[in-house]
Amino acid sequence: MAAEDLPSEFDVVILGTGLAESVVAAAFSRVGQRVLHVDRRSYYAANWASFTFNGLLTWIQEHHEESQPEEAQDWSSLLEEGEELIYLSSDPASISNVQAFCFTSEEDEEEEASSPDPPNTTEEETGGANEDVVKETSETESADLKEEETKEKPEERADGAEKEQRFTALNDGKSTVQTDVFRPITQASKTDGKEPGADQPTASAAQSQSEPAKKKISYAQLVKEGRRFNIDLVSKLLYSRGSLVDLLIKSNVSRYAEFKNVTRILTYRHGKVEQVPCSRADVFASRQLSVVEKRKLMRFLTSCVEETEEQRAYNGRPYLEFLCDQQLGDNLQHFLLHSIAMVTEDTPTEEGLSSTRHFLRCLGRYGNTPFLFPVYGLGEIPQCFCRMCAVFGGIYCLRHSVSCLVVDKTTNRCKAVVDSQGQRISCSHFVVEEGSVGTDWKMVTSPPRFLSRAVLITDGSILPSDSDQQVSMVTVPPIAAGCPAVKMVELCSSTMTCMPGTYLVHLTCQSVGSAYEDLSPVVTKLFRTPESHDQENCPSVLWCLYFNMTDSSGLEVEGHHLPSNVFVCSGPDGSLGHEHAIKQAELIFQKILPEEDFCPPAPNPEDIIYDGDNNSSSMGGEENGGAGEEENDGAGEEEEEKKEVLEENDGEEEKKEVVEEEEQSLQTEGIRLQPLETGSGSVGGSDSCSPPAGSQISRRDAVQTPEQHTASTHNPQRESASCMMGN
Amino acid sequence: MSMEDYDYLFKIVLIGNAGVGKTCLVRRFTQGLFPPGQGATIGVDFMIKTVEIKGEKVKLQIWDTAGQERFRSITQSYYRSANALILTYDITCEDSFRCLPEWLREIEQYANNQVVTILVGNKIDLAEKREVLRQRAEDFAEAQSMLYLETSAKESDNVEKLFLDLACELIREAKQNKLDNNDTAPMPGEGKTISYLSCCSLN
Repeated sequence: MAAEDLPSEFDVVILGTGLAESVVAAAFSRVGQRVLHVDRRSYYAANWASFTFNGLLTWIQEHHEESQPEEAQDWSSLLEEGEELIYLSSDPASISNVQAFCFTSEEDEEEEASSPDPPNTTEEETGGANEDVVKETSETESADLKEEETKEKPEERADGAEKEQRFTALNDGKSTVQTDVFRPITQASKTDGKEPGADQPTASAAQSQSEPAKKKISYAQLVKEGRRFNIDLVSKLLYSRGSLVDLLIKSNVSRYAEFKNVTRILTYRHGKVEQVPCSRADVFASRQLSVVEKRKLMRFLTSCVEETEEQRAYNGRPYLEFLCDQQLGDNLQHFLLHSIAMVTEDTPTEEGLSSTRHFLRCLGRYGNTPFLFPVYGLGEIPQCFCRMCAVFGGIYCLRHSVSCLVVDKTTNRCKAVVDSQGQRISCSHFVVEEGSVGTDWKMVTSPPRFLSRAVLITDGSILPSDSDQQVSMVTVPPIAAGCPAVKMVELCSSTMTCMPGTYLVHLTCQSVGSAYEDLSPVVTKLFRTPESHDQENCPSVLWCLYFNMTDSSGLEVEGHHLPSNVFVCSGPDGSLGHEHAIKQAELIFQKILPEEDFCPPAPNPEDIIYDGDNNSSSMGGEENGGAGEEENDGAGEEEEEKKEVLEENDGEEEKKEVVEEEEQSLQTEGIRLQPLETGSGSVGGSDSCSPPAGSQISRRDAVQTPEQHTASTHNPQRESASCMMGN
Repeated sequence: MSMEDYDYLFKIVLIGNAGVGKTCLVRRFTQGLFPPGQGATIGVDFMIKTVEIKGEKVKLQIWDTAGQERFRSITQSYYRSANALILTYDITCEDSFRCLPEWLREIEQYANNQVVTILVGNKIDLAEKREVLRQRAEDFAEAQSMLYLETSAKESDNVEKLFLDLACELIREAKQNKLDNNDTAPMPGEGKTISYLSCCSLN
């Protein structure tokens, strides 16, 4: 891990590892450009990152601290004749109003759990603590963790005990939590690999586990199991026919990730959470809908697939008005507006219909809902693209930044950058995250917008069902006039984003006020917190976090006064899908390399054929391994250097068939995206195409050419029609 | 591929400082090559080799760092779903040994709990330049409950053994997890390699 010097010449230097930047990096590296990709942070994915619970506590602490503007060093000595420097901003204030609350007890409650009284009192009193107290708690905690990290394993036991006492100290005077300070130290020591229930050594604790009264998970347990959490800063889903899924498949980046289906769509209505029927099977199975409603809904969904004269007549008028005139009734209108189109009451009809169509097109590709979620969280996705970039030679350096640009005064182009170590690195193009560009340089057209975010760790699902492993998308229409519509995603532990026995809930809306002001009323209505009333049956919030993030959807890649070979990538936007970032990345790529293909498929390592017996390796890049050597068009291109073979193959063999592979034993967790889902299996929208919970979906890369792929994915209307209507 | 041509598939991930010989170990094992002075491997995500252990075909998918270790910038997703980790250091480089605790922290943070970790001291062909004594490394490995092996990718010493022992260990774990009869689990040394081509010829 020794620090070396970076090379001093690149084609493209990229600062920031958010989604758009990472896609850009992969795209350039893939076509042979020399890429340097740096991030000043110690983690990947910038504002798209996922954190373990402990990592998130550190992140919270960082955002509480007064950020001291780094002293801009004077690098003018590095300048040559006719050059000038542009300093980048080192203080991206994209996160604000960070507030964390803990509503569970700090310590394990074995004593209480074995007694008949539920430990509700602790909840209220801890929760009643004011914000500063809570902040203090989390800060102290993350400081502990940092310490812990620097220590060796054998010391952890002692450290655990120490921490325990500190917790107790924090509790003193603030709550009546009775913690057993002198319980065996081993409990606080590492017990990796065990389920949370398995680390209770005492018999009484084990007994209380089996009792029906559920033992509430303590803060100490959340910390201890912290690495089981992967908590995303942004909350988005992948539309199964959205541009991100298409790109993942096209580029083969999908091989680095696994996905879970969102298993159900819910909505909040009349004070209750209800399931939204969206597939044909759902509609018929629905108990909320009358027979007449079922028929009306099917007819409506079928009819809106294609644009009609009637629909055009409503252009410019609200979608709600259109829906009203379809005589669908309140139920259906609510589902269609809020949960399927996911628009507001005044969205124009054409927009509402296009969202509805997009939703329908995405249904049934991988499951019963239009959405996928990456196992281990969304923060995986930028990293997957970074891996692709690195595989093709891109150089990665975290904890490293670019302090300024070297600009040629006559051409007004960026010739080089100066990194945080004062090294001059020449480059032809520079791509930068929005946060590192000072406001003076941006062309601001509209006032800055913000997103309000909340992250909850809860102890139960918002709508319990037969399976405790549901992934739910919940739409919450404005709960009062002037309130924002809230999108909520509830993740279960099999998405590998939270510890077993808990759920991770993400809430997102466009900011009206602060995140707490916007979202806590919704949290209070849907969950049990110290502020909520009559929420006996709702899941309890154990811990929650509120923060605001800049919504940078308005920023253009060239919306700045920087040199023309500098491109700006915006951070996360408020929409549910990833369209904005992918579009932006593709745009940047096309501006720089208009002739090149954007993220062509990387060769499948499975197809690289090694001849182990002699000292030359032959490989046919995207050869169909199944077809054997005979068809190896690349046979004449045998090279000792793999690199060259691959590069030649890039051009010539892309139309080659992709190997059909089944990699079952690797896919214990989720779905691998497939280049082409075969029509029979996945179209139909019935239960038959949705994977049974927890099952393995083997990768079945259908044999195809890129052309076929395009054709198949761009003929969605027919499929969605059959998806809704097919028998 | 209508028929599976293997009984097990395992993902093995290499980590360790830059320059300790990770890529050489993989290439020696999968291709029988020792590429002198070879730079970063461009465009190859992982390499495949199918081995046979007690009559069962085991497909090993061996992932390399893609150079991201150079500036300590390995993506977390690299560790996900790995069945085994090969933590490599260079016996002629004290520094690469000193960094091991740092690597272990990353493993603990991001890798699966059940991951099998093996510590490998590479470059034993350069015995005269040795900086890390075998005993020291063995003690360290034992303290961290890792397996330990010394190899030479150049001379092909212990390279086959490394991967075959790992395969045996992984099968044993897999069988234990299934609560199978442990008697049938293979012991280290019982594996043999079969060429990649022969397993593809089924198609």
